[in-house]
Amino acid sequence: MESIIFGIVWIVLSVIGEWAARILINHDPLYYTASNIGLMVEHAFDFILVVLLPIFAFVVVSFIWTMVRFRVKKGERPQLPKHWTKSNRWFVGIWIMGSILVNLMFVLHPTTTATEHFFALEQPSAPQNRHAIVVDVTARQWEWIFSYPQYGLTQTLNANGQDMLELPVNRTVKLVLRSYDPYHTYDQYADVIHSFWVPSWGIKEDVIPGETRILYITPTKITSFSQNPMSRVQCAEVCGPGHPWMEAPLNVVSQSTFTRWIAQQKALQSKG
Amino acid sequence: MAQTLSTPSSAPSPSTRRAPMPPVLRGFLWAAVGFLILNIVVDVVDPFRGHPFVTGPSATIGWVGALVGWLLGVGAFEGVALPLFGYPSRWTERTTGWRRYFEYSTDHKVIGLQYLGSAMGGFLIAGLVAMLMRWELMSAHLTIFHYPTNYLTAVGIHGTIMMFSVANVALLGGFGNYMVPIMIGARGTAFPKLSGISVWLVPAGILTVLFSPLLGAWTTGWRGYQPLAAQDPNGILFYYLGVAALTTSTFIVALNMVTTVMFRRAPGMTWGRLPLFAWGQVTVGLLVLIWIPEIQATFVMGLLEKLVPFNFFTATGSVLSYLELFWIFGHPEVYMIAVPVFALWNEIIPVMSQKSLFAREWAVIGLVFVMLLSGLVWAHHLFTNMRNSEILPFAFFTEMISIPTGFAYMAGIGTMWKGHVRLTTPMLLVLMSMFNFLIGGLTGVFLADPIVNMQLHDTFWVVGHFHYTVIGSIVFTGLAAVYYWLPKMSGRMYSEFWGKFLAIALFLFFNATFSQFFLLGLHGMNRWVPAYPRYLQPMNFEVSIFAFLLGLAFVAQFVHIIWAWRKGAKAPENPWQARTPEWFTSSPPPRDNFPVQPEIVSSLYIYGAEQPVAVHMSAEQELAAARDSNEGGEHPHG
Repeated sequence: MESIIFGIVWIVLSVIGEWAARILINHDPLYYTASNIGLMVEHAFDFILVVLLPIFAFVVVSFIWTMVRFRVKKGERPQLPKHWTKSNRWFVGIWIMGSILVNLMFVLHPTTTATEHFFALEQPSAPQNRHAIVVDVTARQWEWIFSYPQYGLTQTLNANGQDMLELPVNRTVKLVLRSYDPYHTYDQYADVIHSFWVPSWGIKEDVIPGETRILYITPTKITSFSQNPMSRVQCAEVCGPGHPWMEAPLNVVSQSTFTRWIAQQKALQSKG
Repeated sequence: MAQTLSTPSSAPSPSTRRAPMPPVLRGFLWAAVGFLILNIVVDVVDPFRGHPFVTGPSATIGWVGALVGWLLGVGAFEGVALPLFGYPSRWTERTTGWRRYFEYSTDHKVIGLQYLGSAMGGFLIAGLVAMLMRWELMSAHLTIFHYPTNYLTAVGIHGTIMMFSVANVALLGGFGNYMVPIMIGARGTAFPKLSGISVWLVPAGILTVLFSPLLGAWTTGWRGYQPLAAQDPNGILFYYLGVAALTTSTFIVALNMVTTVMFRRAPGMTWGRLPLFAWGQVTVGLLVLIWIPEIQATFVMGLLEKLVPFNFFTATGSVLSYLELFWIFGHPEVYMIAVPVFALWNEIIPVMSQKSLFAREWAVIGLVFVMLLSGLVWAHHLFTNMRNSEILPFAFFTEMISIPTGFAYMAGIGTMWKGHVRLTTPMLLVLMSMFNFLIGGLTGVFLADPIVNMQLHDTFWVVGHFHYTVIGSIVFTGLAAVYYWLPKMSGRMYSEFWGKFLAIALFLFFNATFSQFFLLGLHGMNRWVPAYPRYLQPMNFEVSIFAFLLGLAFVAQFVHIIWAWRKGAKAPENPWQARTPEWFTSSPPPRDNFPVQPEIVSSLYIYGAEQPVAVHMSAEQELAAARDSNEGGEHPHG
């Protein structure tokens, strides 16, 4: 009887929790998602949230149940039964099988499905990747340097002289990530691990000295750093005292605005 | 801390002992002398003249001298060194008075309290550093820290002291040393002298890390990671050295505990009857014995990389090797913290529920499988910098480890169900701990998923996650253990009102502080930053306010515990009507733990109206026990 009431309370609370989660999911629990990979992250996040809520509710309800229903008052000495149950085959069996099944499900989805999807997007031979805009990203202490070899731009800057990344919306970009200091190439201790992170894109990739890493991604929303500060390139791996300021604004614009911006950057560069 | 004793046969007369100065003071003096001697030796043999008096290499070698001086000074000179080399020593061990806690001792109960005291000191120091960090984060730009390196050094000191001298020490060196021998009915530990020395490595390690800024700042956080560490100033040397002292201490604890449980169990204390907490210590001991040597070797490489340098980890070497080697240890480390906590939950819950431990075998299997799997998950710390082809196996094992972890919950919930639950302070803290660790575990499911990890890695989501798992487990359960065993260790009782009131305050402020870390992380707050984009400032400000209240709640807890220890009401012999052996001796226990060798005659976790008392002390065995205490131990039956 106790178990049945417990079960009903648990189910009711889980349903209420799922309803609240649905509201949260409709408002994007990741705050702001603006890339194809970011959408994958968001879907995986939502799925895990929905599955975990009843598990959370079960444990918490059992704690509250213990405190309310099974509590003995101070000083009270209840008669202990002759023997307590030491185990319950059904409870243990359902718990163990249940936790194995839930975890196997997580391994299959979203872990394997989303990761394989991500790997497929990162294949250089994938159709959308063949005509990607190439941006060489150089991480040094403490600066992100962006250059656009297809347009002959070596370093793009905004009006304040800060490094900035600007990309057209809905076009795949090939980010070529390297960590080295072009101004101190003689010093082997100048190169450390950085991490390329755009919060609104839902992805980060560590940038390792001596390695070249490639990330294909497609921005899906027109946005800018001033519009939403999550639209920024941020170093996510501690890289020394300048780490907090190793960031650069990211603007995602329409194709025509991008073409104009490229022309403007070319003019700037030719002026030296 | 007066202790009533059943007058052990070897009671020394304190007047025969003539200490020239208090041992701790002498330890500091000898440490200074040791440092100076070896530092000067290095200066003398330095082939390049004109270096400053203290350099990186000289400080490193000098530190070894300081450590040796410190250990000899606190009493290892008379207690160990002189007898070892065959010289006469007038050393006799103090058995009463507060002074014995401030010198070398071979009593595992004194050693346990020394470990607990060091852990508490480390916790207060590192907690104060955390308060400074939260103060800095109240605004989006630098305020109380004038340079970002100062802030990053504070982050490193906070993390290092919390992990290596609190989380690894409180339940292992502290309650492990104090309680495990009594719980298995032993009258001492296997390596009392080694253990007596190892406890003094903890204050040495804490002070080394705390004063590392004397040699310069370091920016790497608690990982001390290369290649960044190689370009840091020399402060990083004291990180590696301090951690070497602390991990060595943990290693010795594990060696002592595993050996003690294997060879010194009371007659009738079979593996099937072994208390859960002792099981926890054995599994953790094995983890420590496997992984601590690995990380110490890595730290030696890191130290040499900085001193020599070797180019192990620069772009001309292998950049990611350090992080790989660190996390191969780093994830088992998490379970070194959590496994004794799982064990303690199921130690305290049956007692407070007055009900037989539910599914005991699964609770033990859970501990063992968590230990085994913990070595297979480390690379989930590296999803953003490893090869794609390596991601999925580690995601698989990481998700699987939640299954044996869940067994601790299954046993706990099953035990409480329809029990006669006494909601005392320790029980309340255990429930809070299980709730917090649940949040830590469930937020870890998101992190275990590689694609979600790409977004959450290195953000405040991770910071929230591991504070929930670490504080949620070790600190809440550690406090539960303090309250649970306070009547045993001090013979006194805490105030149930204040205990509960402060526990609830702690729980509320803890959750108010760290639950917001998840939101900050999702919103784009990354780690290791004293300055951050302005839009994150309001929530950070609010988090800091709750963090200060949390700090106050911790201080209030400690004040209450110390008050109860000294001034609390006299506690009954077995206030919880527990069945484990530690409750079948006086409180606090005598020097040899039990008046005679106890025998275990029935299960320790089976409650019921007609259950026989599990711990049996017969007059017959009195003789055997007296004989054993001279020979150094009883051998196990099975």
